[in-house]
This record gives sequence, C-alpha cells and structure tokens, in this order.
Amino acid sequence: MTALEFHGVRVRLGRGRRAVDVVHGVDLTVPAGTVTGLVGTSGCGKSTLARAAVGLVPLAAGRIAPAGGVQLVFQDPYSSLDPRMTIGAAVAEAVPRRVRDRAGEVRRLLDLVGLEPEHAGRLPRHLSGGQRQRVAIARALAARPGVVIADEITSSLDVSVQGMVLNLIRELQRELGLTMLFISHNLAVVRYVSDRVAVMDAGRIVESGPVDDVLSAPRNPYTRALLDSVPKLG
Amino acid sequence: MRGLKNPLGIAALVSLVFLLFMVVLGPILWGEEAVRTDTMALTQGVSAAHPMGTDGLGRDVLARVMAASRSSVGLALLATAVAVAGGLLLGALPAVLGRRAAGLLNGFVSLVVAFPGLLIALVLAVVLGSGGRSAAFAIGLASVPAFARLTQTLAASVAGRDFVAAARVLGVGRARMLFRHILPNIGEPLIVQATLGAGGALLAFAALSFLGLGVQAPDYDWGLLLNEGLNRVYVNPAAALAPGIAVVLAGLAFNILGEYAAQVFGGRDTIARAEGRSARPVPGDALIVRDLRVSFGPAVPVKGVSFTVAPGERVGLVGESGSGKSLTALAVAGLVEPPGVVTGTIEAGETAMVFQDPMTSLNPALRVGTQIAEVATTHQRLSRRDAARRAVARLADVHIGAPARVAGQYPHELSGGMRQRAMIAMGLMGAPRLIVADEPTTALDVTVQKQILDLLREASTTSGAAVLLISHDLAVVAQLCSRVLVMYAGVIVEDLTTERLVAGPAHPYTRALLASVPDMSADRSLPLATIHGRMPSPAEPVTGCPFAPRCPRADERCLTAMPPFTSASGGGGVACWHPVRETGGGPVTRPDEEAPDEEDPMRRTR
Repeated sequence: MTALEFHGVRVRLGRGRRAVDVVHGVDLTVPAGTVTGLVGTSGCGKSTLARAAVGLVPLAAGRIAPAGGVQLVFQDPYSSLDPRMTIGAAVAEAVPRRVRDRAGEVRRLLDLVGLEPEHAGRLPRHLSGGQRQRVAIARALAARPGVVIADEITSSLDVSVQGMVLNLIRELQRELGLTMLFISHNLAVVRYVSDRVAVMDAGRIVESGPVDDVLSAPRNPYTRALLDSVPKLG
Repeated sequence: MRGLKNPLGIAALVSLVFLLFMVVLGPILWGEEAVRTDTMALTQGVSAAHPMGTDGLGRDVLARVMAASRSSVGLALLATAVAVAGGLLLGALPAVLGRRAAGLLNGFVSLVVAFPGLLIALVLAVVLGSGGRSAAFAIGLASVPAFARLTQTLAASVAGRDFVAAARVLGVGRARMLFRHILPNIGEPLIVQATLGAGGALLAFAALSFLGLGVQAPDYDWGLLLNEGLNRVYVNPAAALAPGIAVVLAGLAFNILGEYAAQVFGGRDTIARAEGRSARPVPGDALIVRDLRVSFGPAVPVKGVSFTVAPGERVGLVGESGSGKSLTALAVAGLVEPPGVVTGTIEAGETAMVFQDPMTSLNPALRVGTQIAEVATTHQRLSRRDAARRAVARLADVHIGAPARVAGQYPHELSGGMRQRAMIAMGLMGAPRLIVADEPTTALDVTVQKQILDLLREASTTSGAAVLLISHDLAVVAQLCSRVLVMYAGVIVEDLTTERLVAGPAHPYTRALLASVPDMSADRSLPLATIHGRMPSPAEPVTGCPFAPRCPRADERCLTAMPPFTSASGGGGVACWHPVRETGGGPVTRPDEEAPDEEDPMRRTR
C-alpha cells in the first residue's frame, strides 16, 4: 500500500519569458488505499498535476512520492490507445517483464475489467467508447501500480456507459486496495467514487477534506460557486 | 472494389499495369533489337521498319526506348528508396533522441532543406562519380532533407498524442516507441509522398542523364536517349520525342498512383452541398420536421423523425451517442455532407447554429468582430462600418465586457466561454427564428455552462427565436428547455415536458437514462444504475422496438412490432407498447432491489 503525496509541487510550462506557473505549490496527500477526488474548472491545473505525478511534465519545485509505480488513465479513450495495436498487444505491453504467462495475464486483466478474451485480437476502432476505456484501465492495472490516477475518465462517455465505468472503478479500487486520485469536473461523479475531495482553483488547492464534509458544508467561496453551478433535474 | 468506380481509381490501375508492363516486359521483348546495330540504316527518319527512326549506329529508337524502361524506372525507384530510408532515419530519430540531440538534428535538416534539391543532386553526382548507380544515390540523397522534414512533422504530431504519453508512462523504450507506436501511424502519408517522389526522381534522373552525369554509354536510359535524340532533333524529331514521351508517361503514372493513394488513405473525397432543406419564412411554427431520414449507404442513423417547434419554444433533443440527435440537428441546419442522403421535409425560418467546439467553428485567422460582421455584410448587405457597429452591439448583448476590444481580438485570445458567447452573438446578427445549439456547453466548465445556458434563454426571450438544444445531458436540457424529445436508435421514443421528465417519464428508456445519471443525492453505498446491452447500430435491421432487447418491460410483441408514436392528450407522446403509466416516485427501481437475474437489463454490470 502506497500513499500518493505532493509536497510543495510547482509546475512551470513554456520556456523563457513566456513560461507560466500552472501549479503553484500544491500539498496534497492521498492516503493509502483510498480515493481522493480532485475537482476544479478546466485550466485550473488538475491535469497538469496528474501528468507531473507520472513524469510527463517536469517539476519546477517540490517533490512527489512515490517516484514510480504510478499509472495514469487518460480522458479520451479514442486517442489514448494506439490505433494500430490490438487490444491484447496494448495490454501485454504494460505487463511487467518478470511475468511468465503473458497471454494468461492479458486474459486475466481483460476479465477483470469485464471484457471477453476474444477482445484481445481486436483493434481499438472495433470497440465502443466504454469498452476502450475498460482497455485503458486494464492496461494501467497491468503494470501493477500502487497508485492510479484517473483523469476525467468518464467525461467523453455517455451517461449510461459512464455508470458502468464508475461501478467498475469503484469495485476494482476496493478489491485491489488501490490508492487513487480521481480527477473530474463533475462533482456528482467525484462524490460517488471518492472518500476525500480536494478542490483546485488557479493552480492551488483551495479546500480539501472528507467528501461529505466538503460537499455539504463548503468553506471556500469557490467550492460554493462550483456546487451552485451543478445543473439539477427539476 | 469501391475504388474502381471512380475515374482516379481506374486511371491508377491503368497506370500501374502500364508501368509493370514496361518494366517487366520491355527488356525481354525489345532488349535484343535495342542493341542490334544495322550499318545499312544509320540515323534514319521515321519508317515502317523503324517507327521512331534509328540512331547513329542504326539501332531502332523505339526498341531502345522500350528496353530502357526497366533501367530508368528501376534507378528512379532506387533513388526513392535511398531518399525514404535516409529521410525516415533523420526524421524519426529526433522523436526518440534526447532534447539536445533532437534539436541539433532538426536544425541540420532545416538548414539542408533550404538548398534546391537538383543543385545538391548535381554536386553529389559529380562527387560520387559517373554511372547510373551513383546518380541514383545522388538524387536519393538530395531528396533526403525534404523527406526527413515531412517525417519529422508527422512524427511530432503523433508523438503529441495521448497513446504515446500512455506508452511513456508504462516505461516503453525508445526503439519500441519508434517502431511500434510512431512509424505505423505515419506510414500512410509517407507512402503517398514516396510514390509522388518516385515520379520526381524519374524526372530528375532523366535530367542528370541528359546532362551526361547519369547513365553512361554503352548503358542507356531515357535521359541519355533524349540527349542523343536532341542532337539530331532537326533531322529526326521522333528520336527525341520518343524518350520524352516515355518520361512524361511514366512520371504521370507515378503521380496518378500517388494521388490515388492519397485519396484512399486520406479519405479526400469531393464535398458537395447537402440537399433536403427548404428555408422559408414561415408564419406558423419555427421548425417543422416531417419523416426525416438520414442515410449513409446501408446505415440509416435517422429513421423517420417528425416534430415541430413553436415560435419562441425551447426544445431539448436528448440521446446517447449514435442515437442520431446530432445528425438531426445538422439536417435541420442543412449541413449533412455527402455521402449522407437526407429525405423528408424540413421547414425552418432563418436559423442560427451554435456548435460544440467554438474553437473549431470560428476561423482562427480572422478577428472576432470581422467574423461576426461578415454575416451582416454578406446576408443583409450592410456597409462594413454599420456591420462592425452592429457586431460590437451584439457582443455587448451577450454580456461580453469591453465588446469593442474583444471584437479586435482573435479567437485564440478568448476563453472557451467567451468564444461560445461570440458564436451566439454571430447567430443574433440576423433575426433568427430558430437557434440550433449542438452540445453548446459540453466543452465548457460547469460554472461557464450555466452562464451560456442562461444566455441562450435570454437570447430566445428577447429575440423571440426558438431554441433546439441537442445534448446528451438530461440535466442541461432540463435547465433550459420546456419540452424534451428523447431519441433512441434514430427514432424519437418520447416527447414530454420537462416537468414530466422530472416527475416520471412513460418510456422505459427515458427512465433508465434518468436513473443512470449520478446526482448529488445518490446513495453512495449502491452501485450506479446502468443499462445492460447496447444500442443497435444504424446498419442493423431492427424489427420491433429498438429498445426491446434492453427493456425490463419488453414482451413478444415488442420484439416483433415497432410501437407507433402515440400522442398523449395533454401534448407530447410516447412510442412504447407498455409505457409506464403511474406518475411520481423514483424513476426506476435500483438494481439491488431487483432479483439479481441474469436477464435483468438493469443489473449491476461488471
């Protein structure tokens, strides 16, 4: 079990005079085996924070632990899978070298995310959006990470499919005891999967705490504005 | 084969057969005759025995041209192979090298690409020495920079995609990244470029040989024959013409093949205007759609949709991806592109369209104000100054602070919400009777989403325009619209008021859809309700109700007969054999309250 910790993380994007701080000194801990939801509007730096945690973006200052063993599930299952690679090959690529029975491992992972073994031979374009996102999840799990970051994984899916992916994520997290940072702009979705929630605005964490506390009694005005703008039925 | 139906496909096939014939059979059929000297027939003109005359040693020119095909085309292909190999190496390496090395390599390629290719080829030909092989290398090496640049650009665009980032997170090595992820995804445009490049190499080769830097006698190719023929062009023009024609034909063949490859890979199809829409200023309804069908060959994504929108009414069209809702909106706006075929009748007054992504629907090269004003200068024949003034006024109407300053900015300088406001301002330049908004808030944040929905409501109230809002999000639709049309698999399955949607819809699909939306009061200890199974694809023939295989209320009749759309007494209606009659209560039973039956379509999925 590993906790995910951000200590004074600062990320600067761009070069020279045009460089801007996108993340300004973020301190955040996702306790081991739990889910922390990260909410905020687009451009607030939440995706950059995720990319920094897996080493896709360099840090300008601060420290992220653990340094390895973190996997990221991307937002768009249409662009995050190589269109020329079969599902089986994409998942197998992520399986650690030491695993002997690779084909068996791929079958096990596909089964874990509710896909049939036949899917291994297909190309991403033959799969629906929800199925592709399952593949992306299987691939992230194949690397046997201690920590998984899910970056807006349901925002490009239909509501009925979103439900299946969220149920799957919840079950897998509980079954495998994963530590997870769940990023979304949808508060209802975050509330559904998270134990704790952190609210990010303009590169800073403005509020964090247990999900029920933050969403029922927000202390920060920005959190309140975010809650007020959630569209409601009726 | 589909390709053989279009003229370019046929031309490409003919070219390929022609090239293969010349290359394979040329030397076999004419090889002997090409070298047979005839001292009795030196430097002759056109005759029956020698259709293109003879050369200085009495050899038949036509036979020599035919026999030279293999060497000419072969050397051109060798040059192309050198260019492709070198270009791939130089172009793809930066994608996997460190930042410093990549920068140096890119700089080198940029420098070399600035030199004219033929000049480099000439210099290299002299340096490498005479002979066909070295000339091929000279031309190939000279084309390396251009190829490297193309590969570099393509590889950089692929390297920026998510799947490459995903592979990096997984720790995939550089070589594997190059060969498994990058190269396969840039292959198609490179093949096109290589084919076109082969045509260019052929011409360049003929030029080198013509100048005496290429193939040397006693070997011969088209360029050398052209050189020999040109010396006697006044005596026997045919001797110069024949190799010239051969070069042109072969070059043309390569180009046609390249064009065809580009068409096949790039999906470069001709675009024509859509039909099926009559815009007329109707006094009655803002929009009348009757029996609208949109088909793409055998696939019919919209299967007979009928509805009307009253003046000033705000109607939501909801459905999942693939339900046909966006195509319905495009058909209403007259924007369905071939090969899509639209039938049925659509009667609409002046229509304004607001798209999902305002970044792609605004021209990035034009100032916002200019684009908005354009509507008035082209459609209402306003002077440029009046149009500009009205554009600023409309920007103010959509609550953009400092509208005059924003009018002078470019789209990329605005935020997503501001761009969407600008799009709405553009729609309001005329006097629209209908605003069609296709997922206008999907690309925006929740905070901005609310503002845009409020703005659409305000625009419709003040201008009297009706709104047709297309969305997958029931909550968004409920916020703006008074009436909701629910689409499933190309048909409208329910037409109901927003109050009714909230209180309890009649169609099981609408209920299931409603249940699958997580809201802020959902019980977190239970899994979310989901809809088991999937929507039939537009190409699948459906007998009966399209939702029947996923429906908990379905029986024998649902599977065999399509339920007709029956209007309810108080307006609206539903297409279902077993609509839910009672009102109130929760939308549908939660999955865990039902028996965990395998056949239960609302079961917990995993």
